[in-house]
Amino acid sequence: MIKITDLQKTYRTEEVETIALNKLTFEVKEGEFVSVMGPSGCGKSTLLNILGLLDDPDGGSFIFNGIEVAHFNERKRADLRKRNIGFVFQSFNLIDELTVFENVELPLIYLGVKGPERKQRVETVLDKMQIMHRRNHYPQQLSGGQQQRVAVARAVVNNPKLILADEPTGNLDSSNGNEVMTLLTDLNEQGTTIIMVTHSEHDSRYSHRIIRMLDGQAVTENILI
Amino acid sequence: MIKNFFLIAFRNIFKHKVFSFINIFGLAIGIAASLLIFQYVRFELSYDRFEANSDRIYRIQLDRYNQGKLSTQWAAGAAGIGPIVKDAFPEVESLARLRPTNGIVAYKNLEFREEKLFFANDNFLPMFSYSAIEGSIHGALADVNTAVLTATAAKKYFGNENPLDKIITVNKAASYKITAVVPDPPANTHLKFSILLSFASFVAQRGPEVNTTINWDGFFAYILLRPGTNPKLLEKKIAALVQTKWSDDMKKNGWNMVYHLQALPDIHLTSHYMHEAETNGDGKAVYFLLVIAMFIIGIAWINYINLATARSIHRAKETGIRKTLGSLRWQLIVQFLFESLLINTLAVILAFLLILVCLPAFNAVAGKSLSLALLATGGFWTNLAILFIFGTILSGFYPAFVLSSFKPISVLKGKLAATTHGALLRQSLVVIQFMASVLLMVGTFTVYRQLHFMQHQDLGVKTAQTLVVKGPRVLDSTYDNQLSNFRTEVLRIPGVSEVAASTQVPGEKVDWNAGGIRLVGADETESRQYRVIGIDYDFLDAYGLKLLAGRNFSHEMSTDTAAVLFNEAAIEQLGYRTPQEALDKRIEFWGKQYTIVGVVTNHHQESLREAYDAHIFRLIPDAEGYYSIKLSRNSDTWTNTIASVKQQYKAFFPNNPFDYFFLDDHIAEQYKADQQFGQTFSLFAGLAIFVSCLGLLGLASFVTSQRTKEIGIRKVMGAPVPSILVLLTRDFLRPILLAFLLATPITWYVLGKWLENYAFRIPLTPWLFLGPIALILVVALLTITTQTLGAATANPVKSLRTD
Repeated sequence: MIKITDLQKTYRTEEVETIALNKLTFEVKEGEFVSVMGPSGCGKSTLLNILGLLDDPDGGSFIFNGIEVAHFNERKRADLRKRNIGFVFQSFNLIDELTVFENVELPLIYLGVKGPERKQRVETVLDKMQIMHRRNHYPQQLSGGQQQRVAVARAVVNNPKLILADEPTGNLDSSNGNEVMTLLTDLNEQGTTIIMVTHSEHDSRYSHRIIRMLDGQAVTENILI
Repeated sequence: MIKNFFLIAFRNIFKHKVFSFINIFGLAIGIAASLLIFQYVRFELSYDRFEANSDRIYRIQLDRYNQGKLSTQWAAGAAGIGPIVKDAFPEVESLARLRPTNGIVAYKNLEFREEKLFFANDNFLPMFSYSAIEGSIHGALADVNTAVLTATAAKKYFGNENPLDKIITVNKAASYKITAVVPDPPANTHLKFSILLSFASFVAQRGPEVNTTINWDGFFAYILLRPGTNPKLLEKKIAALVQTKWSDDMKKNGWNMVYHLQALPDIHLTSHYMHEAETNGDGKAVYFLLVIAMFIIGIAWINYINLATARSIHRAKETGIRKTLGSLRWQLIVQFLFESLLINTLAVILAFLLILVCLPAFNAVAGKSLSLALLATGGFWTNLAILFIFGTILSGFYPAFVLSSFKPISVLKGKLAATTHGALLRQSLVVIQFMASVLLMVGTFTVYRQLHFMQHQDLGVKTAQTLVVKGPRVLDSTYDNQLSNFRTEVLRIPGVSEVAASTQVPGEKVDWNAGGIRLVGADETESRQYRVIGIDYDFLDAYGLKLLAGRNFSHEMSTDTAAVLFNEAAIEQLGYRTPQEALDKRIEFWGKQYTIVGVVTNHHQESLREAYDAHIFRLIPDAEGYYSIKLSRNSDTWTNTIASVKQQYKAFFPNNPFDYFFLDDHIAEQYKADQQFGQTFSLFAGLAIFVSCLGLLGLASFVTSQRTKEIGIRKVMGAPVPSILVLLTRDFLRPILLAFLLATPITWYVLGKWLENYAFRIPLTPWLFLGPIALILVVALLTITTQTLGAATANPVKSLRTD
């Protein structure tokens, strides 16, 4: 599903040049659940941003579903992103001014899904995430675990092929964290590919494979199953 | 999608109530103020544009020169020029001539003094697109002794009777048959009349030279040009004609006349010459107000831009999420523009309410009479639409551009927290806002200082406690005696100390302009123009005019009928340096010789806008213009005194209405326009500063909340409250102080230009600037302090915990 080859990304300020990704090469197959680990500054987040089509690589190849997307323009990237990729963030990133229902509805709006179908799909996913009773609440009225469930609901509401999770349990206590990991595992079992950046060895054990990064390169790979 | 934009915009407005209030209230003030000003400006600019022919009508305005120097500029010029131009140039389709007059108009036992009487020729009504309510406008003023009434005048004299063919008298001396009734002239014409008398009557009364002479001024001539005529070219042709016809005389006697064609719609705001049909509007004041309107709305837009970009950090997360979820940048721009649209819509609604509530107050302050009928005018809605669309795009576009530019990765990772995004722009905009505030505030102070100066300057004449009674118009051969007896009787009334008769009183233009005056024996080229006031023996004493040399007119001197008094400006014009030099000199005055028996000090005959004029006082013991009656200081008795004066007036001058005024009111009237301008200016200047401070309040609140953590840390490290206050205030003071520096020279220049309108004016001193600037500074500091004080005194533990 994803094949990256010699991927490069360098950040430049006036004085400093930081190589975030240094000829990174790996592949993720459809239906896989992959964890990316490594110390701070190793390039994990940069990788996730490029995989999520939020950022451009400086060099190398990025093939998504058989299409070279490394040099897509903004419009094409946004279009590919909204149809295929869901995001789950450490800090949930829900919009404070929208209710649970409206937050989850947002990707469908950008996809142009009609109102009645939107309602039905959002309700289905909220029910699945067991957060339906909170549909009219605002994010700040929910616990961290509930917020992350809403975030996961939002990530999956458009049935993406790929979910990118950036330390999804980082802001949660262990029980809520486990709950979210179980949700992700369930999704993966239903066929969704998941790439998760994490610092947590515990969480990484939910995945099939761990890519360990250092200085913008993949240094080791552990296959867990 | 739109529903989603709407939802989030609405919730944002409610969530951040203070910012929303500042934005909406500031914009509403800006919109309401601008709409009111625009409406007023629109009215001022609409003068004389309603006539079907307004783009082809021109008034022939006259500049007279003496020895190469401009001597007088006339709105109503030489009597003969109209017919001469009409006959000479086929491109002139039609000529309307008017001669202003006034008098006592009577029908049966109804008598009124009419100030807006004109002799007008038969072309006037058709040229100015009047239609007849009764009779016909064509031929209505063709014959001798015919008259046309306005609807109001017809109602006044005839009630429900049909006025056609009825006879009115003017000053009981001439009778006129009513041939037509026309609608009242609209409020936005410079040529307002109540009754028109046929010009043929004037010619019959004064002789046919009225149609040919160029030595008698005070006649309005309007010409209608044939389509396609170039007025500039015609102006040149008229100049050539004048040179051909009178060059010998002009060369010989050193005079000249230059005629200009004034486009009809330009007259109201640009023409301020002798014998205007009414006091025209002040074009500069109109444009000044327009600039103020721009300032206020501009300041409100700046607030929106500043607050929206300052708060962009709070919206950055949303932007990031939306981009991640597949939103394109243009969709975000549309979303934020939509928000600006919503804010502007709410502001427009509030502006409406403000207009409804404030319209009477605005009218009172500005001396206007705008009514809610303005809501029914197309212009109002056009202005509103322009403000709304322009405001939404202008204020919304930059914030939308900034907000939509955020990279989702950075904002979602919280890397944007300490951004200085747009800080420079915000500071620049604050500089612009406060530059405008300085200009307006110093402007307000200067306008008021100048007004105060004009109203409290020694006029050179005593004007207090002076009752002025308008002289009779219906007279007979016994008038001399009647006046003498009237004077004697009035002086007997308790509380009356002096009575003086004159052709003019202070506080108005002198109508009597006499040219050709020179020393006996001097060459005709030495002739100059003077303004002449006819006075009796008591005028100088009654008005406290001081003699610098010589004496007053005296009953004992039978030769004083051939004596004149000059003022300082007049002897200077005559060529003398000291009053003594001028004494006993003899002058030529329209074929007669007069001796200068006294020289008096200059006095302010008109407002202090005008320089001292060259005045000649002629002895006219039975002057019938005005009777000035000096009253005792005790104003409680004035009502009785006036009643007694009226009784005497009616006894001696029957058939004349008793009209009076107090001289101080008459003089103050000259400053009414200045005063209203001052009030309007200060009202809107105050609003502008208020809206600026609203914006400052928002920024201060935002920046302070952003620095809560920093303040907490500093306090933990031991920083005292004052040092925190200084720290927070310093950043705001920098742009404000810069604004002061930049605004000062601009303000100095603008106000200098404005003061040039006044012949007598206050000097521009640093104090005029320091006072208002200090005031703005204090208001700004107070505004900032309301926000910073709370932050500086808060317990640091709290602020650090919340982070």
